[in-house]
Amino acid sequence: MIGAAPRKSLYSKPLSSVQGYGLAVLSVSTALAGALLLERLPMRGVEIPFFLFALAISAWYGGGKAAALALLLSTVGFDYFFTEPLHTLAISPSDLPYFFVFALFASLVTWFSVVRRRVEAELRLARDRLQTEVTERTQQASLLNLTHDTIFVRDMDGVITYWNRGAQELYGWTAAEVIGQSADQLFHTAFPEPIEGIRTKLLNSGRWDGELEKTKSDGTRVVVASRWSLRRDDQQRPTAILETNNDITQRKLRESEIRVLNEELGKRTAELESINKELEAFAYSISHDLRAPLRHMAGYTELLRKNSASVLDEKSGRYVAVIMESATRMGNLIDDLLAFSRIGRSEWHKTTVSLDQLVQEALMEAGQAANQRNIAWKIGALPSCYGDRSMLRLVLINLISNAVKFTGTRDPAEIEIGYLNQEQHELVVFVRDNGVGFDMKYVNKLFGVFQRLHPAEAFEGTGIGLATVQRIVHRHGGRVWAEGLVDRGATFYFSLPQSEGI
Amino acid sequence: MSALGRILLVEDDPNDVELTLTALEDYNLANEVVVARDGAEALDYLYCREKFAARSGDNPAVLLLDLKLPKIDGLEVLQQIKSDDKLNMIPVVVLTSSREEKDMVASYRLGVNAYVVKPVDFHEFVNAIKELGIFWAVINEPPPGSLKKT
Repeated sequence: MIGAAPRKSLYSKPLSSVQGYGLAVLSVSTALAGALLLERLPMRGVEIPFFLFALAISAWYGGGKAAALALLLSTVGFDYFFTEPLHTLAISPSDLPYFFVFALFASLVTWFSVVRRRVEAELRLARDRLQTEVTERTQQASLLNLTHDTIFVRDMDGVITYWNRGAQELYGWTAAEVIGQSADQLFHTAFPEPIEGIRTKLLNSGRWDGELEKTKSDGTRVVVASRWSLRRDDQQRPTAILETNNDITQRKLRESEIRVLNEELGKRTAELESINKELEAFAYSISHDLRAPLRHMAGYTELLRKNSASVLDEKSGRYVAVIMESATRMGNLIDDLLAFSRIGRSEWHKTTVSLDQLVQEALMEAGQAANQRNIAWKIGALPSCYGDRSMLRLVLINLISNAVKFTGTRDPAEIEIGYLNQEQHELVVFVRDNGVGFDMKYVNKLFGVFQRLHPAEAFEGTGIGLATVQRIVHRHGGRVWAEGLVDRGATFYFSLPQSEGI
Repeated sequence: MSALGRILLVEDDPNDVELTLTALEDYNLANEVVVARDGAEALDYLYCREKFAARSGDNPAVLLLDLKLPKIDGLEVLQQIKSDDKLNMIPVVVLTSSREEKDMVASYRLGVNAYVVKPVDFHEFVNAIKELGIFWAVINEPPPGSLKKT
């Protein structure tokens, strides 16, 4: 038994059966010898107390079996040495009552001694067990005191019976202050559900857990994650509730902050959505309402030029031409802007797309402007990727058109299309040219709407192409970037996340 | 040019009407153009009612239809034509400023025969109108019951 301290006791360990029999023989012999010796002195009549004493000693220290042997030996000894006729086992009728009285006394003393001894032994065992249990409990209690968790026990009436150090740290009261107090009056606990329901759950399953709000010794409220365990006695009657608490006040505070932030975010999102809808409506009305007057300007200017060709001088003729050009440019600008805004609005159909095929299609479209030019195309094999086919096609058309446009002064122009595969999780495609390039100082401006790094006279364009590229790639979850040197060409990269199965 | 089909131009903008007619005139395609200024008028023409009650009942060889129209808009006119057994064979070409995907999808769903976005550039505009006129009013064989001048 762990922790049972060895104690010196009046009741030493019971003897083994051999030792018990030896003790019986020894004690009866000693009593007999003493009685015979004293008879010679002469002191008669001491044999009975002597034998009874020997019996008591045998029963006490030797147990039941030793007592039985001692009873037998002393009865025989008494018969042989102290009842008439002496030195025989026969008993004279006159001494028979005397013998029976001795036998009865001897039996009673033996029986009392044995019973007493057994009761003593049982008591001792019970005491030892109790002692062990107390030691264990004390140790467990001191272990509970070591933890930082808040642990306390209350009986079924709510009276606190145990209070550990963690509880003192959290609530501020010492064990001495709260033991014997009613937990309800101390904590003013706010329960998340009716207390009857909690009690029913606890009694049914032996457990309950939930979040509680309680008052500390300084009056402030604290939110705890609380776990209850029901303790039952041997008859399964509930006796106590062990409660552990963890302070989650800070966490709750953060949770409510996050909730507030989320609500705000939701509101902002709704606002943005409505702004986006307005923009959509705006774009739609541009598409209809701005293009019509523009077309009329261009149309009537053309008619004017045709009808008045003979009366317009050279200067006026140029003015008319500028008006027409400007109208056309503005038309293109509106078209590009609408295409750009459509990226955000249109539905996407993502599939596995062969980039090889897409590059061929883009070359057909973007390469037309290059038909008369000397361009050395270097097009490597490209893998498949996952995305919206028509949008990715637009990316390639824009990048290839740019390469063709900005190599306009090169002969031969060199345009290379390929991919890097240094990353496992993304595919990086690039379009490289030996054109006019750009100053890396302005690399951040490349992908903005209406951002142009070259004068309009040198390279025509609306300044929306690369913004479109960036928007499409971002919507695919990828990145765009560029490297360039003035007059030494440029390389445009875009990455696409590699999804599984490709 | 052996024959010239009648063109029904449904267009509310007088400038667009003038420019379209000018473009068609350049190629002598303007003779047989009827102009309806809104969707209701277009349907009146097709059903020979109101101010068109007296016209002969032949269908036009082609209908050039703007989408944004007063009273009854282009998509409604298109739906009406394509759901009427007497009219649904008339070729309908949507001629609009809108490049919006949803307009295109809606038009094709309703069974439009062609969808043309009016180019801003006048030369392109004239070319588009000319080709439309030549194709639908001259080259294309219209369904039986259409008026075709020989």
